[in-house]
Amino acid sequence: MSELILQQPKIKSKLLRELNAIVTIAARDITLFFKSIGTIAMSLLMPLVMMGMLGGSLKQNMAGGLGFNYGEFMLVGMLVNMLFMTTTSGVASLVEDHFTDFTQEMLISPVSRYSIVIGKIMGSSFGAIISMAGTLVVGLVMGITLSVGQMLAILALSPLMCLSAGALAMIVIGMVKNNKMANMAVMLITMPQMFLSGAIIPMNNSSGILFVISRIMPMTYCLDLVRAVVYAGTPEYDSVVLFNPAITLTAIAAIMVVCLVIGTFFFARSEKNR
Amino acid sequence: MSRRGIFFAFLGPNGAGKTTTISILTTTLSKTSGSVTIAGCDVEKEAQRVREKVGIIFQQPSLDPSLSAEENIRFHACLYGMFSYRPSFRLMPAAYQNRVLELAEIVGIRDALFKPIKKLSGGMQRKLEIIRSLIHTPKVLFLDEPTQGLDAVSRRSLWEYINNVRRQNGTTVFLTTHYIDEAEHVDKVCIINQGKIAISGTPEEMKADLLKQELVLDAQDRDGLISELAKLGLSCRIDSHITVPFQDRSAQEIIASLKTRLTVLKIQEPTLEDAYVEYLKRTGGAAA
Repeated sequence: MSELILQQPKIKSKLLRELNAIVTIAARDITLFFKSIGTIAMSLLMPLVMMGMLGGSLKQNMAGGLGFNYGEFMLVGMLVNMLFMTTTSGVASLVEDHFTDFTQEMLISPVSRYSIVIGKIMGSSFGAIISMAGTLVVGLVMGITLSVGQMLAILALSPLMCLSAGALAMIVIGMVKNNKMANMAVMLITMPQMFLSGAIIPMNNSSGILFVISRIMPMTYCLDLVRAVVYAGTPEYDSVVLFNPAITLTAIAAIMVVCLVIGTFFFARSEKNR
Repeated sequence: MSRRGIFFAFLGPNGAGKTTTISILTTTLSKTSGSVTIAGCDVEKEAQRVREKVGIIFQQPSLDPSLSAEENIRFHACLYGMFSYRPSFRLMPAAYQNRVLELAEIVGIRDALFKPIKKLSGGMQRKLEIIRSLIHTPKVLFLDEPTQGLDAVSRRSLWEYINNVRRQNGTTVFLTTHYIDEAEHVDKVCIINQGKIAISGTPEEMKADLLKQELVLDAQDRDGLISELAKLGLSCRIDSHITVPFQDRSAQEIIASLKTRLTVLKIQEPTLEDAYVEYLKRTGGAAA
């Protein structure tokens, strides 16, 4: 019984404690990912459906006369789309945590609400990166490839993209009260972005309300940044990339911070007003 | 206001506001008015510091059912900054491993430590929650109906463990329960009804305020005994024995005054549950 008298926290620095909390929360989601065969299977099957079927069909039937290689254009779009879709689905699992009361366990801990949300998004990103790898494999089978340098660049940008996707998802998930609604919310967040941000359909000629919506979607800027990196120094750059990368990066950061603040507020509020 | 190290019971009928109060005290719900401090910290202005100082066992289990028992403990310990996170038990520091194994041994869940929560009984899950809530050494431990759904053996071992922790760590315990006998030996009891504190004091004060002690007597000469009690100004209830409530004089004083030879003599001490039920009767019963 001597061990009943326990010690004070070993991590003294506040910043390190917050970082440790983020890692702990993210690691839980990664552990859960490996424990769920269904989740692993979905992460690998989704690229087959999205890239193989949807992308393949578009490439065969609608890719003529664009002035650039549609396969590569779509592969980049699908990679970012998979990151967004899987991260959003992962963040939506907070609704399940709400029902098992596990969110209470997190919220009662002495860590910032932002750390909880960021940890959750980072954990969800793991599945997203697996899906991204699956998309690359499907692309390879379809004869669409990226260089190692391009892939590494996309991988380096992926945490930023996952944070943007997760922060946007938090706003909606914070208002959702059950699993059925959460699934609908995931569709509501991801589908418009897939169609309007230029992931699979070039949006150079968008106008009106669709143009406005596309400009407030974080995926639009994430995609453009990735394409700026992938197409840097190529003749297609001007046809494919919409904005100056500096502007894109600023837009991503601004949208991400705004979404993170609002999303965290909604999440904390939904738990406070159970 | 409760002093440090006190064992405090917060009782009330269903819907009285017990869980809501705990949620406010542990910063998971916002209060609508007033001020609350826990271990010297304001729950609104210093919420994070309050959360460092409290541990809680929720009314509903708040474990991750997909993780193992140990993974749930590891998650909690790392979230509270007790240890840096490592992806497996074996990679965690020896201090963590030893502590978890010893605590699991004490509460009797050592064999279940690496099993998924889904495979643990309700009692084992409760014990696990106790370990988890205490691993960061909280100054104040909130127990919201901690033994709900537990069998008698699990309840007893759980209370033995909590009492040991209280004695050794000086932990303040804030308990809500519908098993009133669990609050019999607390330092202070408070009854809440419809969101308001109705009565508070030590269990003894509460019993003395709400109930009289009773003498249970009988004699072969029952009529003689009843007549003697009447002469002493004591009312009595007659059923299988003669029950004599008393409050202003001692049992010894009454017995010493009796000449009739007694065949039955018992002093009936009211329980806290008797006092609680009496209070509810007087105030119109349960809130919900």
